[in-house]
Amino acid sequence: QAQKTNPSAKIAAGAVVCVESEIRGDVTIGPRTVVHPKARIIAEAGPIIIGEGNLIEEQALIINSYPENIMPDTEGVEPKSMTIGINNVFEVGCVSQALQIGDNNVIESKADLGRNVVLTSGCIVGACCQVNTCEVIPENTVIYGSNSMRRLQTERPQPQTLQLDFLMKILPNYHHMKKAVKVTSTPVRNQAVTH
Amino acid sequence: MSQRWVELRRREMASLLQPERVLYLVHGEKKIRSPLSQLYFCRYCSELRSLECVSHEVDSHYCPSCLENMPSAEAKLKKNRCANCFDCPCCMHTLSTRATNIPAPLPDDPTKTAMKKAYYLACGFCRWTSRDVGMADKSVASGGWQEPENPHTQRINKLIEYYQQLAQREKLERDRKKLARRRPFMPLAFSQHTIHVVEKYGLGTRLQRTRPGAPITSLAGLSLKEGEDQKEINIEPAQALDEVEPLPEDCYTRPINLPEGTTLRQRLLQPDFQPAGASQLHPKHKHLLIKRSLRCRKCEHNLSKPEFNPTSIKFKIQLVAVSYIPEVRIMSIPNLRFQKESQVLLTLTNPVENITHVTLVACEEGDPEDINSTAKVMVPIKELVLAGKDAAAEYDELAEPQDFQDDPDVVAFRKSNKIGFFIKVVPQREGLGDVTVSFKIRHDFRNLAAPIRPSEEGDASTEAIWLTHHVELNLGPLAP
Repeated sequence: QAQKTNPSAKIAAGAVVCVESEIRGDVTIGPRTVVHPKARIIAEAGPIIIGEGNLIEEQALIINSYPENIMPDTEGVEPKSMTIGINNVFEVGCVSQALQIGDNNVIESKADLGRNVVLTSGCIVGACCQVNTCEVIPENTVIYGSNSMRRLQTERPQPQTLQLDFLMKILPNYHHMKKAVKVTSTPVRNQAVTH
Repeated sequence: MSQRWVELRRREMASLLQPERVLYLVHGEKKIRSPLSQLYFCRYCSELRSLECVSHEVDSHYCPSCLENMPSAEAKLKKNRCANCFDCPCCMHTLSTRATNIPAPLPDDPTKTAMKKAYYLACGFCRWTSRDVGMADKSVASGGWQEPENPHTQRINKLIEYYQQLAQREKLERDRKKLARRRPFMPLAFSQHTIHVVEKYGLGTRLQRTRPGAPITSLAGLSLKEGEDQKEINIEPAQALDEVEPLPEDCYTRPINLPEGTTLRQRLLQPDFQPAGASQLHPKHKHLLIKRSLRCRKCEHNLSKPEFNPTSIKFKIQLVAVSYIPEVRIMSIPNLRFQKESQVLLTLTNPVENITHVTLVACEEGDPEDINSTAKVMVPIKELVLAGKDAAAEYDELAEPQDFQDDPDVVAFRKSNKIGFFIKVVPQREGLGDVTVSFKIRHDFRNLAAPIRPSEEGDASTEAIWLTHHVELNLGPLAP
């Protein structure tokens, strides 16, 4: 089965990235991160750096796209890189364009994050909530409800270590994985991992 | 391109099935126009009834999350709240109990620690936990959570007792006055009389049950025994204070911290405390829901009586209109143009098992019920015959299809108990606004509820009566 080669994707060892996921552009994925099939990580307007221990579920879209009023071919536009910290959870169907995401955040199903939002740590963006303001969300904020109400919670969401361990064991049994690519070596043609 | 066309057609067809397109008129205290799916049919009065012309009664109480039935007396005692379930004070979702393992010293040996289970309440929607308000984790999964006490409970109870006594006293005085005046005032309004007599003897007409503003009648039925000491309850009058707490000095300058304050809705759901800060929001017990039964006001028969079990959605008595009255539905509408005749395809479905004959009659000029129509309609003149609903028809291969000899200009198709027929519509009003037509539908109805009279021979019990209903259809806007 021929794989699509993506020479600029840097997948660390220990990361579990399914072959059915779409990774385009300059994307770095840290160890112990799980990327489910049909997840999409697209680095159009700049590189994406994803830390370790993240969980990116099906149909999640992490995209570093051009801002709306700038055409892709405009000159003099600096590519901004998107950083995602550790232990974040991107649930099914969410869309994240936020350039900076900290640690231990949970972005629930079908949530929508705009480009100018900065998530710090411990934030929970509820299901179907759209956050497209230009602000820094304080730590431990919960955004929930149809009106995207906010409140502070006293505890951070726990890192999903149990879930991550389980998935790292089970996913390779049912899906082909993208092979880990070392950052320094020349790009290797992705091969199917067979069991 | 064709996929988009298919999608548009599908959406258009789905919107034709919207219940509000076809309205039936109900003759009650108010003339109500409502889709047939929301109406009831009293088969003793042989009339359509809507929710506004029936009386609603509470059948049973149950908790929506644990589905536990609660007898009415217990519900009244617990103020209609469930004992086990809690509502999140933040988002009003149901709280779930979660467990964590915490190391706790063993009671026998303080030096060793064992893992003990600690329970706390958490909301799955807004991630509120009971630890946010400082409630300690409990060691039992249920039953450990208490609502905080209202500091004013004693005063309120005392006030209620005093006013109950006052109401009772006033009632007795009123009764005494009425008894004295009864003879010369015989033609008093009948309702007042029945109310007076009925209350004294503890029965109740439906209308008398709970009227807001009426004095509490629960104690009024009791008469004072001779020689019984009536407890004199005295209350101190409320004292008006001259001084009010001053506002804090930084009231105008302090920046507002929105997540810290409570919204009006959160505040008013806790009328005892009405806390201004989110850290004071304690969970309240979940409100019970009721199952209600409906009763026809004229003949006092039950129209709808649900089952007692909260997990069951069936009904013991279900006299809904769709199971007795033929239903008209819009099937397809062509492009409607001002003052041009178009053919609209409608369907009629027969809900009963015997053959039904339906006649459609256009509304006459100056019909008082015909207020909404904006188009002229020509309905088929001939009588339409609908086959009975036969549940086993699809499995019966040997059944001969009944031959009804339909006129192809009128009847488009026939399928078991449903027929499709054409009506001609001429819109009379130009511009924006929907084209509405109305006509009367007259059908025969066999009343199976009427008691079989043994003296009469023949089919007295299956005598058909003819019912007429006024139907209004909304055919949508004119074609652009």
